[in-house]
Amino acid sequence: MTATAPKRESFDVRILRQSGPGEESRWETFRIPYEPNLNVISVLQKIAATARTAEGTATTPVAWDCNCLEEVCGACTMVINGRVRQSCSALVDKLLAESPGEIELQPMSKFPVVRDLVVDRSRMFRALERVQAWVPVDDYYDRGGGPNVPQELQEQRYPLSECMTCGCCVEACPQYGKVEVHRRPNESQESYEQRQAEAEEGQFLGAAAISQTMLFNDHATGGMIAAERLDALTASGGIQECGNAQNCVAVCPKEIPLTTSIARAGRKTTWHMIKKWFDR
Amino acid sequence: MAATEPSFFVRHEFLIRRLHSLTGIVFGAYVCVHLLTNASILAGSEAFQNNVYRIHGIGAILPVIEWVFIFLPILFHAFVGIAITAGMIPNNQNYPYGANWRYTVQRITGLYLFFFVFYHVFHMHGWFHFDWWLKIAEPWGGAQFKPYNAASTAGLALQNTLVAFLYALGVLAAAFHFFNGIWTAGITWGIWTRPLAQSRALNVCLAGSVVLGCIGLSAIWGARQVGRGEALEAARATEDRMYDFRVEAGLVQADSHKRSEDEESGSGEIAATPVVETRRSSDSGE
Repeated sequence: MTATAPKRESFDVRILRQSGPGEESRWETFRIPYEPNLNVISVLQKIAATARTAEGTATTPVAWDCNCLEEVCGACTMVINGRVRQSCSALVDKLLAESPGEIELQPMSKFPVVRDLVVDRSRMFRALERVQAWVPVDDYYDRGGGPNVPQELQEQRYPLSECMTCGCCVEACPQYGKVEVHRRPNESQESYEQRQAEAEEGQFLGAAAISQTMLFNDHATGGMIAAERLDALTASGGIQECGNAQNCVAVCPKEIPLTTSIARAGRKTTWHMIKKWFDR
Repeated sequence: MAATEPSFFVRHEFLIRRLHSLTGIVFGAYVCVHLLTNASILAGSEAFQNNVYRIHGIGAILPVIEWVFIFLPILFHAFVGIAITAGMIPNNQNYPYGANWRYTVQRITGLYLFFFVFYHVFHMHGWFHFDWWLKIAEPWGGAQFKPYNAASTAGLALQNTLVAFLYALGVLAAAFHFFNGIWTAGITWGIWTRPLAQSRALNVCLAGSVVLGCIGLSAIWGARQVGRGEALEAARATEDRMYDFRVEAGLVQADSHKRSEDEESGSGEIAATPVVETRRSSDSGE
């Protein structure tokens, strides 16, 4: 938006590409004619339209994921100029003001790459399964209205409910490592997913899942299985893996108080552990 | 869930990490006492020697206290800490936030302290106090500190500039590691949960680490002053006077392990009474 000193004709975008899972990755640079108010998604659309590198050689269009285009779905999350964020809300003018040379795009480093900038974030959702991040309702009986929820609790829970499972928190987390199993020739999708899930057992849940635990434990009905969720948090790969680097809260696009959730989960698990010892 | 039973460490990961937090606090509390005692050398070799006598006055139970509250906690803390550090994926360049730097520095200081504490305990204490072991350790520069010649032997041991530099680094690393550890422990155990509480706690902890670092550095400086020239002679004279008085009064048993041998030790070796303890400690007074 701001007209920076010399008028820009074009700018370069360097992209870390990978043609499929387990393939070698490579850098490719693309030259984009400048126009104001671009975002990274529109840049990727332009690259897809020409599919030519800056040197002019033909290449495959860069693959990426996107959906809502308003920073509420998390699908277009990638590493832009070294920092994880959503590409829909990453504005080219701002990126060029920060680092005038070029824009650098990489897939998230903590998830298996599907192709180019598309990653498989299913570990995030399996983590939600581990902590049962839902309200268990297993019948259709009318039980009347639920209990009243104090305003204060609503205000505490609402920000946590904004989580879109985008993966920024775990991408920036120095305690969260990538877990990737490669699909064997002729292996079924089920068996491949099963092996991936097994490889993730005992690996860190990550901030998002810990925060969701607090969200659902504070829910009047969801809290009925609070102890089961705390058991999941104290299992291998649980909250104890947290190293308090607090990058999660710094990069969260929804500004969810993740470190408060983590500290509260720490308090709850402490009491849970003591209770389990003495209430046997 | 999986077919194979997970290992002991995996099943008890939560408890191990909480014990790691707890042992860090226990050992850190000891380090505070240790550095404060050492800094009393600034009040003169007599004050320091008196503090060391007070600690060694605990008697036969001292090795038990040492092992339960100092050695076992730090050994557990150190080895679990190494395992934790091995799993880190630092990313300070891309995410240069304060807490992320403290995360990385916590692990770097931890690694330094791992080696430093082993070296330091060998250098001053000797690790073990069996006669046959001391015969090996002393020529290698171990077991330099003699609790009944506290100021002079500590001062002599720190005369080497490189050694003093390693000690200064160790003291600063310990001061940061302990107080930053208190801050993260406050989150781990859920004592401070909200951002404002955490930032207040952080300020208190950082101030604490600066104070502890200064105490430690001044103790090193004080010891170096006592360990040379006239001050050394004066300190030895004071220590001998205090030792002879205490032996005479029956306050301490004559014990060659706790004295420096090159000095006049007439009363010491001859009067050596049969002492049952095998492991004589000096740690708390170094």
